[in-house]
Parts: sequence; structure tokens; C-alpha cells
Amino acid sequence: MKKAISVVVILIAFLFIYFLQSNFFSWFTISGISPNLFIILVLLIGLFAGKRLGSLMGLFFGLYLDIVIGKNLGLSTVMLTLIGFLGGCFDKTFSKESRLTIMLMVIGSTCIYEIGYYILEIIENSIYIEILPFIRILSIEVIYNSILTVILYPCIQKLGYLLEDIWKGQKILTRYF
Amino acid sequence: MHQNKKRGIIGIVITIVLLIIIVILSNIQTNDLSFVESALGKLVMPIQNGMTYLKNALAGNDSFFSDINGLQEENEALKEENSQLEQSLRELEIIKAENETLKEYVNLKDKYTEYTTIPAYVINKNISNYSDEIVINVGSKDGVEVNMPVIADQGLVGHIISVTEDTAKVQTIVDTASTLSCTVSTSRDILIARGTLEAESTLKTTYIPTEATVLQGDNVETSGLGGIYPKGILIGTIESVTNTKNVTDRYATIKTAVDFSKLETVLVIQ
Repeated sequence: MKKAISVVVILIAFLFIYFLQSNFFSWFTISGISPNLFIILVLLIGLFAGKRLGSLMGLFFGLYLDIVIGKNLGLSTVMLTLIGFLGGCFDKTFSKESRLTIMLMVIGSTCIYEIGYYILEIIENSIYIEILPFIRILSIEVIYNSILTVILYPCIQKLGYLLEDIWKGQKILTRYF
Repeated sequence: MHQNKKRGIIGIVITIVLLIIIVILSNIQTNDLSFVESALGKLVMPIQNGMTYLKNALAGNDSFFSDINGLQEENEALKEENSQLEQSLRELEIIKAENETLKEYVNLKDKYTEYTTIPAYVINKNISNYSDEIVINVGSKDGVEVNMPVIADQGLVGHIISVTEDTAKVQTIVDTASTLSCTVSTSRDILIARGTLEAESTLKTTYIPTEATVLQGDNVETSGLGGIYPKGILIGTIESVTNTKNVTDRYATIKTAVDFSKLETVLVIQ
């Protein structure tokens, strides 16, 4: 039951971010570059609720974005699924206690997502490769995402541990007691 | 613990303020700051003027008084000339403005009346920083089909790539995956323009034929080749031509007539 509620909450968060991203962040930009909150959301689901839910949610969100506003099917789908999976892997190697590690994880996954997305787009649409403008966009986006992580950190932490309790709490009980 | 929490909140507030400042500063145009510039200028200009005057006076000390009569005469003559020049400039400005309006009238108004169009609003944009698709609020119900060209009142926007019952997705011409054939309106040379990541509302043309004449300020319109866009829709004006050592490597950037950051209403050509 709790799991179902948490999934509904995640979906509401997704819709909220979707509207934020297509309205507010389309003009609240740093020199024309908007952040990508979906990466942060999927990374956190993977990080706190595990690989499985992370990649599943990444798959679902990516598909939705590709179908509704994307040009080709599969770009966001593949990359967001990967980020969800990576979140689960990060959980084993890094501590979630400190703001800095969360920020570094967001920076890392933003880089992975954007580079992967761009490479896939080059392959799918055979676009003209522009390295310098791409690096400029990527670095502004990374900075923007990490600033947002700092602002959202308390919220991230609280919701994250709640998620972890729901999705991993029982496992630990059966294993250790 | 309490102090720690308080410090955290202060940190967040500072970050939010910093973010807002960054967003405002990075999006502001230098023109908008002209009042600050003039205020700052007023602060230092009198001193600067005084210094320059002093320097000139000291440097040309001996000729300063002897030339004063000659200067007065010269001043009169220059004033006369200046007023004449201003007069002719004003006349030219009037002719230029008249010319612009006539050109606009011929170029735009007449061309678009021959198409039947479906008006639509832009309801969504791709959130990715590398793609420029827009979603509009008309679909197959209104008679929209894939590959129909989309225009705005200033010029070409793009073409439909997918349609649902109530909405349609438009790939804009500034999207990096978009390539279109266009003609320079003065020389009728055909160019290939593609979307670029470098700036919004600009296109880049590479592989310009060596014999083609491409000049800054020329209008560029669709050539009609390729089968999607009809001939003669305004795309934009050539903003700059970059010449390289090898003439085949030169490229030009086109400023699109449509401002894609402020695009709200479009027309789908049936």
C-alpha cells in the first residue's frame, strides 16, 4: 500500500516538474539554457528506492517525454533508464549523507545524460557535430542543475529517506533480524 | 543542531538569490543597461573632459591663442556643411523607410494570401537544450497532416513531423536535425541552411558554391526544392559571412525572421 502511494507521489512530482520545466524554466534560464530536473528526479529514485524502481521510472518518464515532445522515440527513454540504473549503483558506493556527494552525483549524471543524448541524436538524425557550443550548453546546464540541487537538498533528503524506508526498509529487517 | 539548520536555510536563501541574479544578468541585453551606463558616464565624464582639455592645452600651448581666429571661421563653415548634410540625411531616411515598407508589402503580404492556412497556438516546447520542437494546438481533426509547412507572420517556422487528433508536433528550422534548401533573394543562388546549437534563431549555411554571391543583409527565402516548403517564404536575413583561406570552406549565418524564443502563434499551410 505504502509502495503504491509512493509511486503516485513520484508521478505527481513528475507532472509537477514537467509543467515547471515547460513553463517556468523556459524563460527562467541562464543565458538561454534551461536545467533538466528530470535527471535529478530519476537519479534520486534510483539512489533511494533502488535500481529496479529507478530504471522503471526512468523508462516510463523517458517514453512519455519522447512521445509528447520529442523528435525520435528512444533518446530520453534510453538515457533516463540508464540514469535510474546508475542511481542504484551510486547508492552502494557513495554516501547520501552529504550535500557534496549528492551534488557530485547530479553533476556526473547530468554529464552522462547529456553526452549520451547528444551522441544518440547524432546517430539518429545525422546532425552536424558542434563540439564547442555543446560543451558550453553542457557546462551551463551542469552548473544550473547543481545550484538547484543545493536549493532542493533539504526536500530531497527528507523525501529520499521516506522513499528508502518504504522500498528498502523491509528488506533490511528480514536480512538482519 | 538548531544552529546548523538555521545556517542551512540561510545557505539555501543565498543560493536562490544568487541563481536569480545569474539568470537576470545572463539574459539582460547591454542595450537595457544604457541608463546605468549613462549614469556612470555622468560620474566620470566631467573629470575626463577636464583632463583632456588640460592635456590638449598643455600640449598645444603656443598655438592655442594664435589659431583662435582661424578656428572660428572654420567652425562657421563646418556648421554650414553639417546642416546641409543633416538635411540630405533626413531625406535619405525618409526614402529608406518608404522603401522598407514597400519591400515588406511586396515580399510578405502578397505571398501569403495565396495559401489556405490554419491558425494555431504554440502550447509546448521541447525541454531539451539541443532540440527545438514545438507542439501546436491543432491536429488531424482540423485537417493538419505530416509534412505540412508552418509559418508565422514574419516568416518560416518549420514543418509538421507528427499529428495526433488535437495536437501536432512541429520541427522548427532552427532544430539541429533540420536542413533546408534556400535562395538568396538578390542573386538567386541556392544554399543549404541547417539549424545550429550556437544561438537561438540562427541558421548556418556551409558548402556555399564558390561562384555564389552572398552578402550581409540579403534576404533568404525558401527555394521550393525538397518538396516540403513552397517557394518564396521568407526565412531571414544573412547576418554575417565568414571567409576562410579556402573559398569552399566559407560559411554564413542567417538570422531568422521569426524570433523563436517569443513564438506564440503560427499558421499551418494546407
